[in-house]
Amino acid sequence: MKSLVTIREDSVGHWVLRIVGAVALVVVLVWIPTKGGNGLITDVMEAFTLMSAAMALNLVLGYAGQISIGHSAFFGIGAYTTGICVSRWGFSPWVTFPLAFVIAFVVGVMVSFPASRIKGVYLALVTLALALVFPRLLTWRKLAWLTGGGRGLPQDDAEVSTTGFDIGRRAGQMRHFEIFGWDPFGDLRSIEAKTPFHYWIGALMVVVVYVVCRGIVKSRAGRALIAVRDNETAAAVMGVNLVATKAFIFGISAGLCALPGSFTAIRIGQVTPDLANLTLIGAITFLIVMVIGGAGSLSGPVIGAVLYIAIVSKTGSWADDDNIPGVLRPLFAWAKTPPGTGIFALALILLMFVAPRGIVGAWKQYSRRIVRVEPRPIGVPSTVDALAPSVGATPT
Amino acid sequence: MENFLQYLFDGLSIGSVYALMALGLVIVYRGTGHLNFAQGEMALFATYVVYQMGEWGIPIGFALIVGLAVGFAIGAATEVVLVRPIAKKSPFAVFIVTLGLFQLLNWLDGAIWGDQVLPNSGVGSKQSHFPTLFPSGDDDFVSIFGAAWRLKYLGVLVLVLVITALLFLVFNKTRFGLAMRAVASNPDSAQLVGIRTHTVLMVSWGMAAAIGALGGVVFAGINNTVNLGLMFTVFIYGSAAATLGGFDSPGGAVIAGLSIGVIENLAAGYAQEWVGQELKLGVAFVIIVVVLMVRPSGLFGTSKVERV
Repeated sequence: MKSLVTIREDSVGHWVLRIVGAVALVVVLVWIPTKGGNGLITDVMEAFTLMSAAMALNLVLGYAGQISIGHSAFFGIGAYTTGICVSRWGFSPWVTFPLAFVIAFVVGVMVSFPASRIKGVYLALVTLALALVFPRLLTWRKLAWLTGGGRGLPQDDAEVSTTGFDIGRRAGQMRHFEIFGWDPFGDLRSIEAKTPFHYWIGALMVVVVYVVCRGIVKSRAGRALIAVRDNETAAAVMGVNLVATKAFIFGISAGLCALPGSFTAIRIGQVTPDLANLTLIGAITFLIVMVIGGAGSLSGPVIGAVLYIAIVSKTGSWADDDNIPGVLRPLFAWAKTPPGTGIFALALILLMFVAPRGIVGAWKQYSRRIVRVEPRPIGVPSTVDALAPSVGATPT
Repeated sequence: MENFLQYLFDGLSIGSVYALMALGLVIVYRGTGHLNFAQGEMALFATYVVYQMGEWGIPIGFALIVGLAVGFAIGAATEVVLVRPIAKKSPFAVFIVTLGLFQLLNWLDGAIWGDQVLPNSGVGSKQSHFPTLFPSGDDDFVSIFGAAWRLKYLGVLVLVLVITALLFLVFNKTRFGLAMRAVASNPDSAQLVGIRTHTVLMVSWGMAAAIGALGGVVFAGINNTVNLGLMFTVFIYGSAAATLGGFDSPGGAVIAGLSIGVIENLAAGYAQEWVGQELKLGVAFVIIVVVLMVRPSGLFGTSKVERV
């Protein structure tokens, strides 16, 4: 297959491309909270939430091939860890992120033990049941002293967050976020300061989740995962410890999925059992976002989440026929609910026929015809190595 | 004693609905070896159709037949249009497709009938409650040792037993049943001896969806209402029943469905403090996990031998 442009991997041209891409990304990321409206920022934060959860799910499903429709439960564990710790015990919200990770990690490892015996769609069944049971647990009266039952947290309406970085009043001490005396946001009690502040927390979370996922996927552990996905028996024969690998990846994935949960709790300022992302609907949304973006690719969930939020928020008001743009009105006017989820469900089904590896998979396949990045031959030093030969050049 | 009988009767009746759902799952599994995640939502669509017929003043008997036909059509079309072409690619793709169908059908129900609980006079429903097949007045019950068995509950159980008996006859005494068993046992050989496997599979999926639709209609009848979340839990109970009974055993599915109904009602009744109505679903979850861990082939299923 002949492509129009061929670029050698790690050549100067390749690095220019990479840097241009990175700069463009940073410009967009900075433009949104400074120039964009509150609606846009909220949508992007929702996309951050979805892409982190989908990236976490991708580790288990896309890479290790273990079907899970129960990640909403891990998301919920994160949300409730933050909610409970901050509103009941007055923890600093920062601390609840690692705490949520650890708790969800432990639960994830526990889930992995049945998962190492149960395969394929049966595992999907177990995790589906988990997704349905989890919200019931939150409203269970034996746990109401902790979770706040059906009302959620904080218990007192007057305490529902309107001030800064907190859930409820008890943790409302933080009024400013200062880095070495520089106060970029101002008084966090105002919504104009709070929204960008939450935005940057979300952006940081996405970066952390992405870096962890990338680290795992590109390492020995990641190759073990792919081996397990492609042929479990063969992987075991080649020396992959199946039980340990699955326990590890379920734990990490659950822990990472708890982070967007914590983020959502902080962003909204309260947690309730009917938060969409911690019910079955959330689990299915994560899965759809991941598969549409591209299962088994690092950037897939990111693309999927952006697309999902773009379409869902664009069509969110379409239940009212007057809001539908003229050309599309005859198509959607009959529907009593917004068409977003329907469009995505249909896209998911169609995608399985035309591009089972998602948008990113299709992009990789077709973009090669235009620009092809030629892998660097083994033994040839890369540009980076050539610039700093003493650091880590391959001896040739 | 009264309480026990009451829990038992309620359990058997609600278990009948789970049994219907499980039967549908088992028939699909025996046919094509897939777990149909959209089973519950297919049934829900047909249930909404029956509701709509009721709105138009069509008697429930006829409405039910139309509902079953709609269910059959959705199931058969799914097999022909979606499952058959995609099954060649990978089992994972089939799973995603059935999940997509789950979401699509649920959205479609909401888009057509709205997301509120129906019937609802607020949106102009003419009916006061979902049409039931059986007498559902306040004094329509039989009293057995002091426990009341409402006729609409009893009717459901009888209906399920009749359907099971009919299916048993179809599977074991008709040529088509023989063909179905042949395809389940070995599709390639079945095709070689002249069985139209495509037709058999299409009809299997259609039958499964129609049976599920019946389950949806009677469940909505028991609840008096229909809403978008109606079948989520029923699907989980149904798959718990199919797991417990063994995914390839229709008789097992019915027995397991009835047992799960009884078990969860006994648990909710006698352990009200701990289980109660809220954690009933936990019973299904525990059953699924324990059965899959201890005896993955279920009580009545045949265990699967894998070749490396």
